[in-house]
Amino acid sequence: MLAEIKNISKTFESDGNKIQVLDNINFTVEDNDFICIVGPSGCGKSTLLRIIVGLEKPTSGEVLFKGEVIAPDNPKVAMVFQNFALFPWLTVKENIELVLESKKYGEEAEKVACKYIRAVGLDGFERVYPRELSGGMKQRVGFARELAVEPVLLCMDEPFSSLDALTSQNLKDELLMLWAEVSMPPDAVIMVTHNVEEAVYMANRIIILSPRPGKIVADLKIELERPRNRKDPEFYRWVDKVYSLIV
Amino acid sequence: MIFPKATISEIIGLLEVVNDSGGIEDAARLAADFDLELDEILPSIDGAELLGFVSVTDGNIELTEDARNLLETGIRDRKKIIRDKVAGVGIIKELTSMLMESDERKISKKETLKFLQDKIATADIESYFRIIINWTRHAGLIGYNSDSEEICLISK
Repeated sequence: MLAEIKNISKTFESDGNKIQVLDNINFTVEDNDFICIVGPSGCGKSTLLRIIVGLEKPTSGEVLFKGEVIAPDNPKVAMVFQNFALFPWLTVKENIELVLESKKYGEEAEKVACKYIRAVGLDGFERVYPRELSGGMKQRVGFARELAVEPVLLCMDEPFSSLDALTSQNLKDELLMLWAEVSMPPDAVIMVTHNVEEAVYMANRIIILSPRPGKIVADLKIELERPRNRKDPEFYRWVDKVYSLIV
Repeated sequence: MIFPKATISEIIGLLEVVNDSGGIEDAARLAADFDLELDEILPSIDGAELLGFVSVTDGNIELTEDARNLLETGIRDRKKIIRDKVAGVGIIKELTSMLMESDERKISKKETLKFLQDKIATADIESYFRIIINWTRHAGLIGYNSDSEEICLISK
């Protein structure tokens, strides 16, 4: 077992009002899991992800990573953001090296950065600033930067939702190619998405949350062979099934 | 001439979705599937055609052998195929030879824009510049340094 999400509840307080967003979430993450968390907007799925990586504290419950309570600076857990979160004044390569410096790679940093720049097909863009990049290339930098720390668990919050439909299709496929390479990190992925089709395309496990406060409605194993085809009737049966559990 | 305003990622994304439909798909249906206006998807179709990845007849987009080969390979090999294809595009060939003949194999952005303006009649030459650099960077052929505002050949 890689991670254990135990009895997680979260309540936010604003102006004396208490809003419960998550209600007693329990699941475990195993090696080779590609989990998509889906649910209606406002169901707390992004909050849950932030709790899992240690960026936010739960009101009750705990997240254990390899048996220990998760810390926000855990180098084995990485997070890809919807809006890329790149430093505009740093080049592609510097953005990647920066996370490596903070993790004490020393002189290895450049070598490791180059390895992951190549892996995501960003070679040729090393000295480019984010402002010059299309959304697709920016998110490739986001992937390279998080893969470069060689995480065991990679968390992604709506990583494709700010991209146009075709670019997003291209990036999903490339990410799945990297995922299929055994030599590449991570060992498991948790991705939050509001797009059911995307979840069925990517995941081998889908966790469905209810409307707020988010509770687990279903934890489905997606038994579809890869590569998956969105036009396949079997694919659509799964999409339908997930929808029927959300609505 | 008109240069298709689509990034390489959009073009490969298009090939992937046409592939899902069995290698041939109607442009209108494709646009509807993705909730896009035809105008939004046309540049990607034109780009794919210019690179020899699709043939278009009567609104039907069909993958070529090269596109199938591209989709079957991994990220590294895709890069090589893209390189060969992009290198063969007329306007990029011309830019490459201009760079080969120039001092230090560099040309200012200003001069590049002037060259493009003569080829592509448009009021918005900047966005074409960005797209062409997107293609040539992807292909590892021509880079652009935004500090010195120069384009340059990328050494292999």
